[in-house]
Amino acid sequence: MRSKINFYLIEYALNALLREKYKSFFIMSIFTLLTFLLTSVFFITNSIKYELQSTVDTLPQIIVQKIKAGRHYDIDESVVDDVLDIAGVDDAVARVWGYYYFENAGVNFSIVGIDAYEKQYKKSFENIIEDFDFATLEQTPSMVVGRGVKEIMKQSYYDEYFNFIKPDGSLKRVDVAGVFDGQTQLESNDMIVMPKETLKEIFGMDEMQATDIVVKVKNPQEVSTVAAKIKLIYPDTRIITTQDLQISYQNIFDYKSGIFLALFVIAIFTFFIIIYDKASGLSSEEKREIGILKAIGWKIDDILKEKFYEAFILSLFAYLLGVILALLYVYLFQAPILRDIFVGYSQLKTSFELPFIFDLHTLFLVFFLSVPVYVAAIIIPSWKIATLEADEVIR
Amino acid sequence: MILTPEVLAIFILNTIFAFFATIAFVLSVKIFLHWNIKSVSQSQYKLEKQSYLSATIIKYIFAIKVPLFLFFIFTLDKISKVITGAMCGAGVVDATPYGTYLLILKVINLYVFAYWLMLNSVDMKNEEQPYTKLKFGIYIIAFFLLMGELVLEGVMFNSIDIDKMVSCCGTIYSSTASSYISNIFSIDTGMLLFLFYGTYVLIMLFALLKNKYLFSIANLFFIIISIIAIIVFFGTYIYQLPTHHCPFCFLQKDYYYVGYLIYIFLFLGTFYGVIVAFIDAKKEQMQRDTKISLVFNTLLVLLLSAYPLIYYIKNGVWL
Amino acid sequence: MIELKNVNKNYEVNKNNIVNALQNINISIQEGELFVLKGASGSGKSTVLSLIAALSKPTSGEVIVDAKQISKLPDNFASEYRRDNIGFIFQKYNLIPTLSVSENILLPLVPLNLPAQEAQQKLQRVMKMFDISHKAEAVVKNLSGGEQQRVAIARANVNDPKIIIADEPTANLDERLSLSFIEILKELKALKKTIVIATHDPLFFNLDCVDREIELHKGNILS
Ligand SMILES: Nc1ncnc2c1ncn2[C@@H]1O[C@H](COP(=O)(O)OP(=O)(O)OP(=O)(O)O)[C@@H](O)[C@H]1O
Ligand SMILES: [Mg+2]
Repeated sequence: MRSKINFYLIEYALNALLREKYKSFFIMSIFTLLTFLLTSVFFITNSIKYELQSTVDTLPQIIVQKIKAGRHYDIDESVVDDVLDIAGVDDAVARVWGYYYFENAGVNFSIVGIDAYEKQYKKSFENIIEDFDFATLEQTPSMVVGRGVKEIMKQSYYDEYFNFIKPDGSLKRVDVAGVFDGQTQLESNDMIVMPKETLKEIFGMDEMQATDIVVKVKNPQEVSTVAAKIKLIYPDTRIITTQDLQISYQNIFDYKSGIFLALFVIAIFTFFIIIYDKASGLSSEEKREIGILKAIGWKIDDILKEKFYEAFILSLFAYLLGVILALLYVYLFQAPILRDIFVGYSQLKTSFELPFIFDLHTLFLVFFLSVPVYVAAIIIPSWKIATLEADEVIR
Repeated sequence: MILTPEVLAIFILNTIFAFFATIAFVLSVKIFLHWNIKSVSQSQYKLEKQSYLSATIIKYIFAIKVPLFLFFIFTLDKISKVITGAMCGAGVVDATPYGTYLLILKVINLYVFAYWLMLNSVDMKNEEQPYTKLKFGIYIIAFFLLMGELVLEGVMFNSIDIDKMVSCCGTIYSSTASSYISNIFSIDTGMLLFLFYGTYVLIMLFALLKNKYLFSIANLFFIIISIIAIIVFFGTYIYQLPTHHCPFCFLQKDYYYVGYLIYIFLFLGTFYGVIVAFIDAKKEQMQRDTKISLVFNTLLVLLLSAYPLIYYIKNGVWL
Repeated sequence: MIELKNVNKNYEVNKNNIVNALQNINISIQEGELFVLKGASGSGKSTVLSLIAALSKPTSGEVIVDAKQISKLPDNFASEYRRDNIGFIFQKYNLIPTLSVSENILLPLVPLNLPAQEAQQKLQRVMKMFDISHKAEAVVKNLSGGEQQRVAIARANVNDPKIIIADEPTANLDERLSLSFIEILKELKALKKTIVIATHDPLFFNLDCVDREIELHKGNILS
């Protein structure tokens, strides 16, 4: 437990590393590659997890759907009142929404119906209500479309209005009252917003029915309890909670990182073997050097210490280099190739940036997965070197 | 079964430990049986060389185990976010029947390995190497303790069931719980504080009297009494909540990781304190060890006492 | 001050082939003596030196230096003994070619972790003594043979050891350099160092600075 750091020994270790340029370079490259890969994968997974969490956070906590013949069916709006009576429920809103296939352009629009006086379940709707007077929109059937949607309609010469084909075959003319810029690329490219009344007519829905019901719960921990209660009152419904979503996302994701972890075990084992092999191979030059050192009074412990200093310098340097490279690769270049391996998620959400999440814990994790493995691999070779017979040098 | 990257990292390192510890074990048995410092035979010469390998391996294991222990606690905290009900490491430790034993074994092993290293350093400073047989004998025992720990750790992580609801620290460390831990709450707080500060004063006293055996025993007692005092009394002031007794939560960020500092002080102070009776070291070294022990024990007492005092100064009342 | 008592040294090449390098050797060397070990190649000269330096241990017998049994020292103490008492001068200089002169000379001090000032003092002293201060920062592999020899001698003396051991010190030197090496030996002797040289260079025979010569033959002393 000596306290002072021996800088002479560090300097000597550094020189020794430089003397064996190729060997050091080779080991360092492998080491850097390992830490780089480990760190990259952990960074990517952390970012995706974060993104996932923030997406799930914006979703409604509970969605209530009516199921009939195993298929999703329109639900009575009166369910809202029953749900609101359940203790712990903050708010419940009947949603009207769906997809409309526009054959001319071969695209699907998603149409959302909103009521101006209702509490909105999505932030972007609040903005739309502020910008447009929905009371007047209801009188002359009109709608607000995303900027991209406007472009598509224009290509089919619909500029001022659009003709929707109702389920019974007749046409419904709806004026374009304005254009909005969506929060995401996705939103402005395919979303249309209009009063609920108009939309129900287009979809041929019953006056007192809705697509589904979203529920907000005061205490997030009570989501599952509330969900169970709704199920009890309406056994013919399907209840989707954010927790379910989270778990099913998480499963896809854990499965993928599980494969990675298995690969890591193999990679780390290989790493161990390679280092062991490299550290065992001694040039006659190195052997002579150890002999000299022992002859002029270095102890076995001194030589071991020198070897571990070498290992620390090399592994710390390679570790830092690997981490920095991973930072650049993941956050500056958005992790090309590796990111696509986690496609499971990319398919759920088309475009997203990997948000910068700096987690100290990850750095410790990578540290423990690399440096001790490296040091372990050189224990036996170093010991063999340190206990070489020294009297050979004087012959 | 829970297999996060952290747990996997611990498993990988445990595999490495098991591999090298076994090598050191085989060599230690040979050394223990055949060591003869007087002999100039080839085989003694070989044993001498092998003793360096064993020592290096043991040093390596200890050097990694210390930060890994902190990482282990950190991991428990992280896993607690996945397990329903658990709010901190305590819930995870309590989630399986093995957690508590694993934790205790881990702490014991830290002391044993640290003791081994001290013994080794004293041994290597003496031309006769008087402790060589003893230290490798101790390692033979330490090996089984270590293997026990590794196996237990594997079993524990294996039997954690993510979907099973576990208790949080609030129920485990409460005076109304029926677990054995709750027994400590039956001790009167005034009595407990008297014991805590009393033991500390005794440690000082024995250091002055230079009685290394009493000094050592007092330190041993101080380990236990400190942990109880932290759970029953000091913890509540760290959390500023009269009902929060958990010895894990203050390892978290919300309390500025102060728990790590507390446990490091406790370990260093008591380790150097206990060790003086077990090693026949030179006088200067014993004085140095005693000094280190006193410094860290004092730091611990100051740090712990600061919480209730500051609370009292701020609020004018005790909890 | 150096005593070999009934020393035997066997090398076990393999189970059936044991080389008897030294047989029942008794040598006693006084403090301040310049002692020469002669003998043909393979006679056991280097083996004697390595025993005195505690680089190897006798198969039987005792090696005593300064009243201390060095033949039974554990490795760490053997190294310590060597560092404090022995200065080695090898046949092939045995310097580390890519390090500078001063780095090479400081090598024995590295594990000691001395304060920078103290190390510098020791370095300057020996560099001046053996006249290589002007090359302090030069890389060793670019030096001439004579200069390398002086670096090796400086390194052997940086710890101010009591005993200097030289194994075939002139084997790689021409006559002029060999003579200047002998001059250096005289200087060292004037500093009251005990010097043991193993050589078959006739240059050393019957020198007046040499106090005693012993000839080895197949592991035995010829008287
Ligand atoms: N490590 C070894 N293993 C086996 N035999 C050895 C070993 N070292 C020395 N020997 C043998 O011991 C004998 C003495 O060797 P030593 O090196 O002492 O001779 P020397 O007098 O120094 O010879 P030279 O003048 O060639 O240096 C030789 O026969 C040699 O082969
Ligand atoms: Mg020779």
